[in-house]
Amino acid sequence: MAKGYGRPPTEGIDRRRVLSGAAALAAAGWSAGAGSWLLRPARTLAAAPIRIGIATDITGAFAPWGNANWQVAQFVVEDINRAGGIAGRPIELHLADTATDPRIAVGNVRRLIQEYRVDVVLGGISSAMRQAIKDPIVNRGRTLYIYPEQYEGQECTKHLFCTGPTPAQQCAELIPYLIKAQGRKRFALPSANYVWPQQLNRYVRKVIEANGAEIVFEEYYPLDQSEYSATIAKVRDGNVDCIFNTVIPPGVQPFMRQLYETGFQRSGGIVILIYYDEMSLTYHPIRELDGLYSCLDYFQAVDDPFSKGLQERYSQRFPDTKYPFTAGTGATGMYRGIKLYEASVKATNGDLAREAVSAAFDRAKLANGPGGSAEMVPGHMHCAMNMYIARCKAENNTARYEIVGAYDRVDPREC
Amino acid sequence: MVDAIRFTFDILSFISVMVLVVLGLGIIASMMGIFNFAHGEFVLLGAFTMFMVADAGHNAWWGIALAPIVVGGLGLVVERTFIRRFYAAPAGAILGTYAIGLVIRETLRTFLGGQYKSVAEPWPDFVTIKAISFSAWRGFIIAVTIAVIGSCWIFLSKTSTGLKIRGSLENPMLARACGISTARMYALTFAFGSALAGLAGALIVPLYQLSADMGLRFLVQGFLSVMLGGAGTFEGPVLGSIAVGALVAGLPWLTPPVLADPLALLIALLIVKARQHGLLSKGRK
Repeated sequence: MAKGYGRPPTEGIDRRRVLSGAAALAAAGWSAGAGSWLLRPARTLAAAPIRIGIATDITGAFAPWGNANWQVAQFVVEDINRAGGIAGRPIELHLADTATDPRIAVGNVRRLIQEYRVDVVLGGISSAMRQAIKDPIVNRGRTLYIYPEQYEGQECTKHLFCTGPTPAQQCAELIPYLIKAQGRKRFALPSANYVWPQQLNRYVRKVIEANGAEIVFEEYYPLDQSEYSATIAKVRDGNVDCIFNTVIPPGVQPFMRQLYETGFQRSGGIVILIYYDEMSLTYHPIRELDGLYSCLDYFQAVDDPFSKGLQERYSQRFPDTKYPFTAGTGATGMYRGIKLYEASVKATNGDLAREAVSAAFDRAKLANGPGGSAEMVPGHMHCAMNMYIARCKAENNTARYEIVGAYDRVDPREC
Repeated sequence: MVDAIRFTFDILSFISVMVLVVLGLGIIASMMGIFNFAHGEFVLLGAFTMFMVADAGHNAWWGIALAPIVVGGLGLVVERTFIRRFYAAPAGAILGTYAIGLVIRETLRTFLGGQYKSVAEPWPDFVTIKAISFSAWRGFIIAVTIAVIGSCWIFLSKTSTGLKIRGSLENPMLARACGISTARMYALTFAFGSALAGLAGALIVPLYQLSADMGLRFLVQGFLSVMLGGAGTFEGPVLGSIAVGALVAGLPWLTPPVLADPLALLIALLIVKARQHGLLSKGRK
């Protein structure tokens, strides 16, 4: 070891250096402290404001998803405030960064409820996050909670409404389409090892088997696995013709890369990533994405004047944004959540009591939204919405989705 | 036969990635006694340089050429301003470099908006030999790895600069008495190790794509490689990373993938336990 160099060995780390190190940690957002961010209505309306709390991942691994949710929340709330608020009352928006870390999240969410006394909380990206923050919100916080992201289903907590698609909505049409229209017979289910793929695969297995196709293998990987040659060999040896892929970033990039290298897609194989939207198109070189299937409640290719108008105003509000208005991020669920909440409070004539709003939310409807209309299924805590099967097309150095199937008012089949 | 060739190529290509990533870390650990916890972020910076060059519309080869220069230069600055204060207390350097890594990672994360970015390689082709197609880029990485190992070995063991570097590690007092500026040697070594990290980042980013946590995923495996091979020699970390690479890529063929990672760790730790100074323990203590 390099002893005797420069300084005498007695001088090691002094306190100042440790402190400056800690300051660097704080500056880098590691020890996330501040939790809340406030957006006041531009015009002060006479009545007391309605406080909406957004708890989402502004930092950490899910930051792209969280920031998209937060931008869409601002976008909708500004719209509502410009039109005079809800029942004459303006909306005040509070943000809590859940930092992709449930331990940090619980503290920040509690502040939303205790300090800022929000009337409703929307947010959470991962299921682990939803599980962590639902108790502080719904039980101890006695506040309404709306979860916007597509997820594995089976969340049937009172006062917790889900406005994103469920496994039935994403798969009940998609898988029969692949088996019947595309002639797929041999499926593989490579998956990241956590709750969403595990629960989703249970449903997917049922649908695949009910439609007479076969599952060659179902396999789980650590979230950041970087080597998939053993899996790719199984795909090849098992004559798999359809991969229902629930690997997530950062593992999904090397997976797709190795799969592409073996020529799976070129020899007619199909890959499905049901959480992939327009934002995910930058995650891989374009050629690896050609022919990829996704199934979500909205794609920018959906030919609906209202959705197109929304998209246009969103890009005026956030020009050149890194966080587009898409479905896989939960941003469309966020839009629906806030609009359905608006409809509920209108139905209660401005009464913000949880029981009353909850009862109204249970029957709330949205005439227009991204991807079309949507409505809560009374008594089931979930939202019926239009669903779209899209296929990715890569040409001229750009990738985009083409809608290959559209299904009206698909039932969530939950609770 | 076909399967055996494919298997060998797959394992070899992952081992090459592992060796490339570990090489700079190993050289700094072996020749300076400093465990650089920012190494993963130096790899990330190399990848980021490649991304910036490609994103600006330039030929990706410029990115590969530029990455070692940029990261090597940064390494030099970091050594002169920071690392040199820690030679007396290498444990402090672990914390210090960890902090530097954190600053780099989080700065880049902010810059990227937390997004993942794809980086395409300059050689997207496939080479087909007897009906088996190989990725040209993976083949290139294997070739570069062999070339880099070879030239590093010649540099450290056959040139007079290499001798001075080794001398500065083994007996700094005597080296200084012989008129060798040990400070300069350390700075050079650290910059060299950093440049290797930069090169590794630029070469592997087309396989893994760019994200702020890119360097993190190799950090544990990297340190394990150095421990397994034994710090103190040039060959040790190389051998260690070959072993770890083969374990990580090979085990999923035998066990469920979720078990492969912990199992690789376990096997490596058992070896370290049996041979406390690593596989090559002829080290210069």
